[in-house]
Amino acid sequence: MNVEVPLSIQRQKGGGSPRRDLFRVSIAESASVLDAIEAAWAQHDSSIQFRHACHHASCGSCAVRVNGVEKLPCVTSIAEVWDGAGEIVVEPLRNFPVIADLVVDVRGLFDRIEASEMRPIRAVEHAPPVDVGEVPRTNGQSTVVPEGIERFMRFESCIECGICISACPTAGLDDKFFGPAGLAALHRARQESVDPEAAEALLDLADGEHGAWRCHSAWACTERCPQGIDAAGAVMALRRELMTRRLRRLFRR
Amino acid sequence: MKTLESRPSSESPSEPRHVVRGHDPRRRGLGAWAFLLNRITGLGLVVYLYVHLAVLSLLARGPESWDSFIDIVRSPFFLALDVVVIAGWLIHALNGIRITLANFAFGARVQKAMFAVAMVIAGATLLVLSVLLFEGS
Amino acid sequence: MIETTQRTTAHSWTWFVQAITGIALVILLSLHMIAQHFIVEGGLREYADIVAYLRNPVILVLESLFLITVTVHALLGVRAVAFDFGLTEKSERVVSRILAWVGVATLGYGAWIIWLVAG
Repeated sequence: MNVEVPLSIQRQKGGGSPRRDLFRVSIAESASVLDAIEAAWAQHDSSIQFRHACHHASCGSCAVRVNGVEKLPCVTSIAEVWDGAGEIVVEPLRNFPVIADLVVDVRGLFDRIEASEMRPIRAVEHAPPVDVGEVPRTNGQSTVVPEGIERFMRFESCIECGICISACPTAGLDDKFFGPAGLAALHRARQESVDPEAAEALLDLADGEHGAWRCHSAWACTERCPQGIDAAGAVMALRRELMTRRLRRLFRR
Repeated sequence: MKTLESRPSSESPSEPRHVVRGHDPRRRGLGAWAFLLNRITGLGLVVYLYVHLAVLSLLARGPESWDSFIDIVRSPFFLALDVVVIAGWLIHALNGIRITLANFAFGARVQKAMFAVAMVIAGATLLVLSVLLFEGS
Repeated sequence: MIETTQRTTAHSWTWFVQAITGIALVILLSLHMIAQHFIVEGGLREYADIVAYLRNPVILVLESLFLITVTVHALLGVRAVAFDFGLTEKSERVVSRILAWVGVATLGYGAWIIWLVAG
């Protein structure tokens, strides 16, 4: 059964002022918000620019704000966000430069996550079967699953969608803030680092005026994360580790 | 490889500046309100601190200056201002305790509950203190 | 808006000091409020009351401690607000230095007032 849904999408091209375009799209009642955006593109205006790939919350590409709240539109149903009367407002994520319409520049996000070198797939899962005379390649990571790693496995669910950064008030103020995604990745990467110096280097990245100390405990990242990751908790954990390290160094002298 | 041309949305005249955007607590959850409240009360208290310190210079002018000043601030208007300052302090202190606890122990699950509890305690304490303040004058 | 990262110098202590002074202030400010408003006849101290009050060595120590703690906490807070706007490393150092001097001036002024009154 099809319904007609009023979709108000933020449009912006080439540095011009943003505006909102209203589309009345005809879609199935059970459709997702992403389906509605695609319908607007297909039925009305093929110049709408938006990111999408997997359509099942694995790739993190489609993240936008729906009625002001950060969401993955591919798994958000129309029914969840529409009261049957008013417009559904779709805007790009906050705190990223807008390239066009709903597409934002996420290089800053990827830079920070890559800095942690967090690998969601452990080397041990790729190690070829051991044969006599053959040595498994490890890419520098341990082939032994670290004890207690289950507690930190949730961080591996990060799909790098950028929702946490959009929700974060500090990321809105401070361009240099390392951000919840990056800091959570650092925390996770540290749990598996075999090389103590590498673990220290990761902690160094969390240190500094724009690292874990800039967080203002708004907890918006954890609240909005579609994967249920407690990024703010990771920031707090990093702070505790930084303080412990400082105190230890103080008393070692 | 061609790099994408991108313009920050803050360059658009209709986008609010960094300052407003970052502090906007709408649609961000309770913690963002806590952050904004803590910032407003904190800055307000800094202003109050320096006004208070400046007023203390009257002490340097001797008993007559100070005592006549005290007569002025005994009025209900100034007592009401005191209540505002106390409210600011209670909100800031209790929220600060929540933040410190969150740093060392409690996690995501209790954040919102802690903030709500903190504000309830602030409100109750404010009520009691205001009554005492006005009664004592 | 998030931009590519830059490494900045480590400052692990400021947040820790902010938390510690904050907790201390809960106690010190409460004591100050009680002493200034709730145990005095009329709710406010007149000149003679203040002199008598500050001549008590315990009170003198507590009020001095209070002044130091509140000044540190207040100025670290202002610094945190300033740093939130993504200043350059040089600006960060300048801001820190200015606030440090404001702190010194505040404490100096406070010490002068106490000395003037308590004699």
